Amino acid sequence: MLRLLDKDFWVGLSMLLAASIYWIEADKIRISPLDGPVNAAGLPKSLAYALGGLALILVFRSAASAALQYRSGVQALAPDVPAGERMKPHLRAAGMLAIGIGYLLTVSWLGYIATIIALLLAVSVYNGARLNLRAIAFAVCGGVFFHIFFVEFLGIPLPAGAILEPLLG
Amino acid sequence: MEAFGYAWSALTTTPAAFAAVGGVVWGILGGALPGISPSITMALLLPFTYTMDPIPAIVLLASTYVGAEYGGSIPAILIRTPGTNAAAATAIDGYEMQKQGRGGEALGISLVSGVFGGLIGLFCLIVLTEPLASVALYFTPPAYFSLGVLGLSVIASLSAGSLIKGLMAGIVGLMIATVGIDPVSGVSRFTYGAPELLGGIPFILIMVGVFAVSELLVQAGRPEAKTSQKRQMTIRLPSWAMLKRLRKPQLIGSGIGLFEGCMPGAGGSIAAFMAYNEARRWSKHPEEFGKGSPEAIAAPESANNTVAGTALVPMLSFGIPGSNSTAILLGGLLIHGLQPGPLLFQRHPDVIYGLYSGLLVANLSLFVLGILIITPAVWLVNRPRPYLMAGIFALIFSGIYSIDNTLFDLYLVLLAGLGGYIMRLLGFPFLPLVLGLVLGYLIEANYRRSLLLTGGEHRVFIEDPISLGLLLTAFLFVVGSGLRDLRDARRKMREPGGKS
Repeated sequence: MLRLLDKDFWVGLSMLLAASIYWIEADKIRISPLDGPVNAAGLPKSLAYALGGLALILVFRSAASAALQYRSGVQALAPDVPAGERMKPHLRAAGMLAIGIGYLLTVSWLGYIATIIALLLAVSVYNGARLNLRAIAFAVCGGVFFHIFFVEFLGIPLPAGAILEPLLG
Repeated sequence: MEAFGYAWSALTTTPAAFAAVGGVVWGILGGALPGISPSITMALLLPFTYTMDPIPAIVLLASTYVGAEYGGSIPAILIRTPGTNAAAATAIDGYEMQKQGRGGEALGISLVSGVFGGLIGLFCLIVLTEPLASVALYFTPPAYFSLGVLGLSVIASLSAGSLIKGLMAGIVGLMIATVGIDPVSGVSRFTYGAPELLGGIPFILIMVGVFAVSELLVQAGRPEAKTSQKRQMTIRLPSWAMLKRLRKPQLIGSGIGLFEGCMPGAGGSIAAFMAYNEARRWSKHPEEFGKGSPEAIAAPESANNTVAGTALVPMLSFGIPGSNSTAILLGGLLIHGLQPGPLLFQRHPDVIYGLYSGLLVANLSLFVLGILIITPAVWLVNRPRPYLMAGIFALIFSGIYSIDNTLFDLYLVLLAGLGGYIMRLLGFPFLPLVLGLVLGYLIEANYRRSLLLTGGEHRVFIEDPISLGLLLTAFLFVVGSGLRDLRDARRKMREPGGKS
């Protein structure tokens, strides 16, 4: 019967856990003498109850549906696509996130222009562009354009880079 | 007369007219990119509006919405890939016309009908908004609280996906809104010692994350579809005889757009498909629908451009946005400290009439820009997707940093993007989340204010007649939607091998 449970069951359980954690954190909120009849933790705790209640409905609804199907002899269908194939889009999305985090970790060191060029090149190649002169030209021209627009035109103090800053004075 | 003075002043003493033209250009280009919805196109602009004056900033965002609704029809007609959800109905007959070598004519019909719908939508916006907003003058704190609850309930009930998930998304939005200094007592909540969180999580970060970053993550997981339709295109405007034929479907589309725009949660795509169906029903040539009928393009395009105007009615009157795009526009107003509702008309009439005049310029300039921009828009549609994705990613990172000059915001945007990606996977709608976030302050402040006035008596929410009416309406929406969900689940169970 466990195989008949749909993803809403697990979503409901996760939300129930999130609501519990949120309630515990809300309970730690300091009570101020300035508070009126409802203190600063009042609404957060009500929200935790509401989220928990909805999560329970989702869990029960999913479990009831699975139980009904089990009783009527419905068999869980084997997934059409192998697990590896199903995970592929999510892994690719994780890769995009990793590129973003990589940019954030290096921009303070290498500076905006170098990292934005690297970001443009990495994202375009990661998403299927060939690593050739065209891709490099796109990244360099794009990086220079972004630098001129944001730093020179809009005057945004984007990081110059801890490594390059002393060299540039 | 005073209103004309404000409108004229906005156009002549502020860069609102330039913002209108710039917004339309950006909107057409953004709308023309498949996968980039009007809300994403607007979200990408949001960081740049921080440093602008309120009137040009709001006009820029609203004009982007106008441009994007037309821009979505370009790839719909050229490559049968709607740039926006609302353009999906246009793709049916637009692409058929393109196959018959009448793509330029289809684009011309789309443009003319879009301008027609946009002007009708603007007229309705001007006529309807102020009288509706004046109703809100009678609102007390309990009524404002109940209005927030109603807004969330309606959006959660009407959003795609299940009612429970819609309500959950709204609650999570409210939870995010509680981060930071408590507005009443000054106590910090959920900040965990991070000074960046004391001011709360700016909703712009969540909007850009859930709309734009999550879309990029989804697209990264999809292989690029090869398009073979790499051709140039020139617009052919319809003849007088054709304009006469298009009058009826345009009026049908605008009528439906007026109704759907004012309804929270409905949006341009529902209006476009309803207009398509109604235009076929009332057409003298219904047999041409699906085979390249000009009327089948005129009706949905008029409808979705009318919605771009009328969707602002509930947002400006009550501060309740009915769609993702108007939620972002509301965000743009709040960034500049402008709270929609009757007080906005009293305290900042310059912004309201400036917005109206900006939208008039946007809709009129759409006619000219729609012709001029077609070549770069088609060029953009034909660009390889990896380069477009890289450019958008770089724009997000640079634009968000420019708001507060801190990398912390970028981490939050990535986190919101991951959250948006998970929400898409699990079938949670975005709009209740964004609405919860935007309405969080209104709901909490008025809830606590009401209880302060009555010494903690919750009865106040049912003793106030407006509050009671709003809460009852919210209850009816939730119960009605719950019953609909239950009926759908039962139907699925009855289907052979059905699984809810």
